[in-house]
Amino acid sequence: MMLFLLPVLALVLFACAHTQSMVLKHPTEVEGMPVCSECHADWRAALDHTEDFYTRHKYSAPANKQACDVCHKESFCSDCHANKEELKPSDKYKDSPQLAMPHRGDYLNQHKIDGSINPASCFPCHGRQNNERCSECHK
Amino acid sequence: MRIISIVSVMLSLVLLMPYSSPAASITGDSNTYLQSRETADNQKILGAYEYLNFAVQDLGNETISFHMGGWLRYDLKGEEFDKKTADDLQYSYLSFKSTTDNAIVNLGRVMVFEGVAAERVDGLYARTDLKGNFGISAFGGVPVETEINEPGNNLIYGAHLTHQLPGLYRIGLSYLKEEKNSEDFREEEGIDLWVHPMNKVDITGRSNYNAITKGWMENTYNLILGPFDKFRFTTEASWISYKDYFTGATSSAFFFPPGGILDPNEKVRRLGEDVAYALTDKVSIGVNYTAYDYEVAGSAKSYGGSIRYAAAAQGGCGLSLRRMDGSSDNLKYTEYRVYGYKKIDKINLAVDLLDVDYDVPINGVSNAYSASIAGQYDLTERWKLGADVEYQKNPDFNDDLRLFLKAIYRFDIGSGERKGA
Repeated sequence: MMLFLLPVLALVLFACAHTQSMVLKHPTEVEGMPVCSECHADWRAALDHTEDFYTRHKYSAPANKQACDVCHKESFCSDCHANKEELKPSDKYKDSPQLAMPHRGDYLNQHKIDGSINPASCFPCHGRQNNERCSECHK
Repeated sequence: MRIISIVSVMLSLVLLMPYSSPAASITGDSNTYLQSRETADNQKILGAYEYLNFAVQDLGNETISFHMGGWLRYDLKGEEFDKKTADDLQYSYLSFKSTTDNAIVNLGRVMVFEGVAAERVDGLYARTDLKGNFGISAFGGVPVETEINEPGNNLIYGAHLTHQLPGLYRIGLSYLKEEKNSEDFREEEGIDLWVHPMNKVDITGRSNYNAITKGWMENTYNLILGPFDKFRFTTEASWISYKDYFTGATSSAFFFPPGGILDPNEKVRRLGEDVAYALTDKVSIGVNYTAYDYEVAGSAKSYGGSIRYAAAAQGGCGLSLRRMDGSSDNLKYTEYRVYGYKKIDKINLAVDLLDVDYDVPINGVSNAYSASIAGQYDLTERWKLGADVEYQKNPDFNDDLRLFLKAIYRFDIGSGERKGA
């Protein structure tokens, strides 16, 4: 294995682009919900944190985590996208009803409906993790 | 035990590093929650939770950092899931970020989002830019999963190769393999795409292939247009094959045995459109429509609209309506929601009402609703105290009252210059 990995590592080091890395923190302080398009006309304009960004961030966050990291700490993601979570995010943030969080109200009954419509929407969070509550009934 | 060892070693390294790095800073949050609720089998639960996360940053030359987050629960009354206590280490890793090549090496319990992989791994993650606008990332280790009877000797690894013309497109090829007891459990290959052909036009998507079942798991593509003055359009199109998509599940909720509610050979096409329009800089409206076309179960459609008012510092409110029309009785309902939040000096208040009207009663209930009222007081810049109460009536609970208390403390030791949510 090591005999295979060492040449690969050497090749990667040789092929490094020597580009400038993305900044580690935003050069200017950003207050509140940033409207990226006010300064950036390129791909970053799609990251505008408008009110509906709570539902739109799924399109941009997975491919641009480095850009998210410029302002957000890891806990900002793991607060909702956790491995093993007992408290619903909507319970932790009842004082922020503008956040588009699933599982509001009675989700015990609603999950049967949502699960039969589109089980693939449950799977990324509950298929291999966050499933201790599922296993109470789904033995 | 393995995790404790990893965390101990990394914490030791971190604790030693500040002595050689006077600029190092520690920032984090402590969130303490107390939740009172009743379970479906009439057990009263009073659970105390502590969520702690922190980051040690600017170690050495500002490229080395340590990140940790986790929680623990102790039930003061009753037992959630028949266990008085529970805990989870959500993430814990030492991170090195180079000033060139966008090179990153993370070691520990890491989150990996690369192509077909959306995993949590106890191991190593690394990425770097390559010549010719290529980029490569790789990861390997033990998968972090919560299935209770998970067999031992697990291994997961994968890689993601991308090519991009900055600002125009990025295309990626990815591979993931997971073994359990030295046998293949998952083997997935993926193509992911982001295209930005012109300003305000973005196409994103992925096609993932299951190399074990020899079938496409999903093809999901999105077209995002805008903002054009006051409009924004989002189109989603996806195709999913249940047999190929759900094979890597560890939860029986996704096993779909023959004769069950969902057919294991089901395939679904989903097409959705969402249009948002900003009436003013504070008021926006939106409409959405999603069609589901099942190969076995027939079809369903969901449509609705919303209006929102948001004045960032003062508060806001919203009203939404959604109608679901499916072929079975439980897929015919209308959902209404009204919410509002207001900031008065150091106090934040919020109310939320959710109502669902079922066309055909479920457990004899044709109308389910929940109402909550929440408040938070900013005691100081670091301390926040909050409480909320929620009342529900629904097909599973005919009279359900839940209480929630929270205390949030934000700490910042060291340079204190770094901000972040």
